[in-house]
Amino acid sequence: MYTTDTTATDIELDLDTALNPGEIDGVYRDSRECAYLALLAGGGALLLSPPTPRPKKG
Amino acid sequence: MDQTHASSPLAGAVHDLATEVVLALRSGDHLATVCGAAGIDEENRTGIAAARVIGADLLLPSVLYGRHPHPGDVAVLDRAVREFPPKPDAPAATAWSHWHMISTLQRFAPPPQGATGPGTAVGTGTTVGTGTTVGTGTTGTYAEPDAAWLENAPWQSFTHQLSVLAPLAVPAAPSAVQRAAADRAVDLARGFVRAVRRRDWLQAAGAGRWLAAIGGEPATLGLERGLDFVELMGGHDPRVTLHVRAARLMAEARAR
Repeated sequence: MYTTDTTATDIELDLDTALNPGEIDGVYRDSRECAYLALLAGGGALLLSPPTPRPKKG
Repeated sequence: MDQTHASSPLAGAVHDLATEVVLALRSGDHLATVCGAAGIDEENRTGIAAARVIGADLLLPSVLYGRHPHPGDVAVLDRAVREFPPKPDAPAATAWSHWHMISTLQRFAPPPQGATGPGTAVGTGTTVGTGTTVGTGTTGTYAEPDAAWLENAPWQSFTHQLSVLAPLAVPAAPSAVQRAAADRAVDLARGFVRAVRRRDWLQAAGAGRWLAAIGGEPATLGLERGLDFVELMGGHDPRVTLHVRAARLMAEARAR
């Protein structure tokens, strides 16, 4: 019974998280990935444009 | 699926279910049940919870190919609707995904004459707005949750929320969320680029799916190539592949 109750609660907690995920921390592209984008060229001008400024901390 | 590396039983079941939806999208074959292939039936609570996460995309192959869904998949989606209704304080996105599940079920099994389907906007604020369900399952009155909060959301959070609501990005499924997306296509395009830059492949795939569904993105975006890139980098997550595949199917349909 304890296990069943715990499992049910865990599922609902996991479900709430899955339904409302926060934004993941940004991890910006490295040059290898930029090379992939270049290979996929033919469009994607915006994707290959210089990165937007990152917010300053502090 | 080998769930050894899944972060939780639910995550593993979501992975399995999304994988089967992708397979059905690729094959266009709906004779087999998506849920059955993933080992999920109405008695499997974790599986039902996974169906709640996947939401109306459980029937996406039928929606995009215009075929009848497998009764087993309909039954699981219906069970997920009843088993996991939005709580009173649930975020608006949860209310919307629940509303869309009901809407999709009614698309394939319209409610009896006299019953009112989804479509009436009520409520205000950024939470709740879940409407009222009368009766059980997919019949009865269920009002559209509020979507006014989307109009003024910053483009970053707008894209994030729209990506969470990517299952609503399907043809012939009008909603206030879809209208908000159409009104802010350029913001979505900006959000798509931002998500790619941040390597948030799931968000990028969801935003790309919306852009494919509504059109109107800047030509300089390179959406098709961008989706190729998102799938290349994030395709290990079947939910990413699901959105990208859905986007391609809708883009192909629009081009015809």
